[in-house]
Amino acid sequence: MRILRAWAARLAGVFTKDDDVAEVREDMLAHLEMQVAEFVRRGMDPDSARRAALVASGGLTQAAEAVRDQRGIPWLEHIGADFLYAIRTLRRAPAFVVVVVATLAMGIGASMAIFSAVRGVLLKPLPHREGDRLVYLRQSAEGLGGGHIGFSVPEVRDLRSGTRSLGQLAELSNWTVTLRSAEGAERVDVALVTGNWFEVMGLEPILGRITGPEDDGPSAPVVVLTYDGWVRRFGRDSSVVGRQITIDGKSATVIGVLQPAPFYPGRAEALLNMVASTHHFSATMVEGRTHRMTEVVARLAEGASIESARSEVMAVHARERREHPEAYPAAGRYRMSVVPLKLAMAERARLLLWLLTGAATFVLAIAVANVANLTLMRSVRRTHELAVRASLGAGGGRLRRLLVAENLLLALGGAMLGSVVAVSGTRLLSAITARYTPRASEVHLDASALAFALALAFGVAIVLSLIANLPQEGLLASWVLSGGHRVSLGRGRHRTQRALVVVQVAVSVVLLTGAGLLTRTMKRLSDVSTGLRTEEVLSMKVQLLSQTELLSGPAADARAKVLYEQMRTEAARLPGVTAVGLGSPGPLRASSARFDVRVEGVAIDAGVSLPQADYRTASPQFFMAAGIPLEHGRAFATTDDGAPPPVVIINRALADQLFAGRDPLGQRIAWTGEVLKFTPISREWRTVVGVVGNTQDGGLESPARGVVYQPFGQMTALDVSLVVRADSNVAALAPAVTCIVRRVAPAAPIEDVQTIAQIRDQSVAPRRLNAVLISSFGVLAMLIAAVGIVGVLAFSVGTRTNEIGIRMSLGAAPFRVERMILQEGGVLVLLGLTIGVSVAYATGGLIRGLLFGVAPHDPATFVAVTLGMAIVGLVSCWIPAVRAARIDPSITVRSS
Amino acid sequence: MPPKLDVKQGTLILMVLRTLDVLGPLHGYGIARRIEETSKSRLVVNYGTLYPALVKLEQEGAIKGEWRPSENNRRAKFYALTAAGRRLLARETQEWNQTADLIAAFLAPRREA
Repeated sequence: MRILRAWAARLAGVFTKDDDVAEVREDMLAHLEMQVAEFVRRGMDPDSARRAALVASGGLTQAAEAVRDQRGIPWLEHIGADFLYAIRTLRRAPAFVVVVVATLAMGIGASMAIFSAVRGVLLKPLPHREGDRLVYLRQSAEGLGGGHIGFSVPEVRDLRSGTRSLGQLAELSNWTVTLRSAEGAERVDVALVTGNWFEVMGLEPILGRITGPEDDGPSAPVVVLTYDGWVRRFGRDSSVVGRQITIDGKSATVIGVLQPAPFYPGRAEALLNMVASTHHFSATMVEGRTHRMTEVVARLAEGASIESARSEVMAVHARERREHPEAYPAAGRYRMSVVPLKLAMAERARLLLWLLTGAATFVLAIAVANVANLTLMRSVRRTHELAVRASLGAGGGRLRRLLVAENLLLALGGAMLGSVVAVSGTRLLSAITARYTPRASEVHLDASALAFALALAFGVAIVLSLIANLPQEGLLASWVLSGGHRVSLGRGRHRTQRALVVVQVAVSVVLLTGAGLLTRTMKRLSDVSTGLRTEEVLSMKVQLLSQTELLSGPAADARAKVLYEQMRTEAARLPGVTAVGLGSPGPLRASSARFDVRVEGVAIDAGVSLPQADYRTASPQFFMAAGIPLEHGRAFATTDDGAPPPVVIINRALADQLFAGRDPLGQRIAWTGEVLKFTPISREWRTVVGVVGNTQDGGLESPARGVVYQPFGQMTALDVSLVVRADSNVAALAPAVTCIVRRVAPAAPIEDVQTIAQIRDQSVAPRRLNAVLISSFGVLAMLIAAVGIVGVLAFSVGTRTNEIGIRMSLGAAPFRVERMILQEGGVLVLLGLTIGVSVAYATGGLIRGLLFGVAPHDPATFVAVTLGMAIVGLVSCWIPAVRAARIDPSITVRSS
Repeated sequence: MPPKLDVKQGTLILMVLRTLDVLGPLHGYGIARRIEETSKSRLVVNYGTLYPALVKLEQEGAIKGEWRPSENNRRAKFYALTAAGRRLLARETQEWNQTADLIAAFLAPRREA
């Protein structure tokens, strides 16, 4: 206690010291006066009395110093003094400080932001209880829904009975419902989950309750809001629990709000029990082995490993294929896999994140290299100052401490400014990664990011301090005596400096190559034709029927079509509109329905997979409105809507695939395959009456797929879009069209109101972002490297002024001097280029997944980058070389 | 005149505490005088040892200083023992006596066997 108190007082003394010492000084002066008075009393004259008293005191200043040490904490104050001194010296070199702090801020800021993203998305444990034990099951098949096709209820039953390592399996179906509210109706992504889902996932409610197995049976529909859904739809209203909401026209009760947790797979603002969808209890769903619309998550049983789970799932799958060969056609190459949930969530973001990590590490490395070079040069320029300090009694330790203090200040300054950079950087990264992973919401700057920045700052300070050029103690005196003003680096330091430049150039080349490849990818992608003749097309999705209603009645469907037609004709009357069509889905939107197709008169070979095509519908005006070129035959007519014969229009890709070389018009095709029995689509023969151009419905980067269009009027109205074409500025029509839709069908949600240009941009935007991110890193790196080259050569010229002067006075022509310096730098640039190109060549394959239409070893990119960097490098060498050539020999020789 | 000794820091604290205990509140000069008198001028207390000790004791809360006019009408800081100081004095005294006994026992003249 006593000790604690004393230390507290001493610590306080560190800051308040001067007042306190003054007080003790006054105390001692009083003492002195009393002593003087005493001596005077004893008979001394006042002057001798004062002198005697001063002698007796043992020195007031020394005493004050002793008190000072007692009051404060001496070593702390020494450090304080070092820092104060460092601040003072740094203040004298503002340009140096600005360059160093700014350079470090870029490097540290970028690293911090990317550290936060990597930690939030890839490293941090899931917020779920024992989230590491959660696994996600995947079934993939060739050519269907991009790999993952989900599971059917019978398959889940097999898995449940056939695996012991998977403690519990929970089922989930992504689903979209219409949520009706006072303001209108909205489409909301939800998930239907089994009662055990929450238990398996290890999630708790923050309000109300979650569903349990008792909600699985024939019970009332209940809703658990995800945290995001609660925030977005209900503004964190805690009275939401117990509220009745209308989902797909039916009433459901909100029973709770879930803790914040990333949702996977898909997106969901609310979780419903299965009874919310009658479809999920239909025979189709429960018995159909190929009706795969269920996702499976599971928690590993106690003591079970993911390997054992994998082998059990494989065994189940093998048995299924044996017992139900019809559900697993060989051509589909069906596979089941077990992935840790954490991995599955981050899967699509991983490549980009590691790429950015690499880029940030590189930028940090060259930033530090540059700062190291600057510090090295500065320490040489300061040799004089340091030597004087040393000769005045500052020990080597003290000098080194001073340098460390300076470097620490610089690095901490960099980290501080870097944190500011990181704030916006992290926000940007969170927005970017949100496209790829549900864990993006966990990306934010937190204490660990700050700790990371501090650690980086200390690391940088240590590196800088180790590299500094401290004068050796023994050499100082002689150095000062010789009146030396020549500065130079030791051979070793020279080599370090050069190596740093080579590294900078090499790293810049690697980054620029990546940037070049990504930029070309973006360029290639935006050059891809959408297949539409114009971009002045507006489309919006208008959902009149819920998924459940669609699957039930033709009467509702007919009513809906009347409304759609009404919207269409009213929109067509708007000024400036040239055509309005209806279709499902809208142009450039991927179709979710894809089935096998057969051609009349062509035998089906067993074991050979049939061609597949997307199923779409189109009204007579659809192609005209969307700007899809009609290549052969005719568009649909209003007469196609009712009476037979059933007709279809196919796209160029399917025409080439099915009828290579023959005329497709008049041929008959039909849908076929197992899956059809779960749809209202019949297998009858349909006559091809037209061929239209291909469109990039699956995104700009995927190859055109075969499409079969059927008359809108003949098919169920699923996923319907209103397509409006205008002469110009179609985007301005959006409010008017929306208004019409609201008037005709007040309860219908309107989604995806976008022009073709916007849809197209959505496809390009992520690539553009990749390109811009990596390019900015690359350009940054190149600039830093250029500054580095100029700095190092200029310094080299500076230290060789005498030598150059002598050479020139002995007859060396300026161009020779220029060439000498150019050579000195050129060697470094060339070395850096060689290393950089080889590294870029070796690692190019790593980013293959992010490229489109460009090979990772694209020669054009490599040549461009090499040339660009070579030019920048040579220009950077030129500046100091020209300066060297201008050296006036008479001046340099005279001055030495 | 016997050679003068510098006061050792550890013993100085005990002396300061004891002085304040016996004489009541006193300024630095008074404390120094008293120690020198008690030691029959064998000890010299200079500022460099006394004032850090006073500061230390004050930091620890054993004594408390207060500015008051002194005999010759100058302002001087009078130090007084606090309750904690009294406890410290008791403890230090006891420890010192024990140490002294112990050392005395060690240094006692050898007895004939």
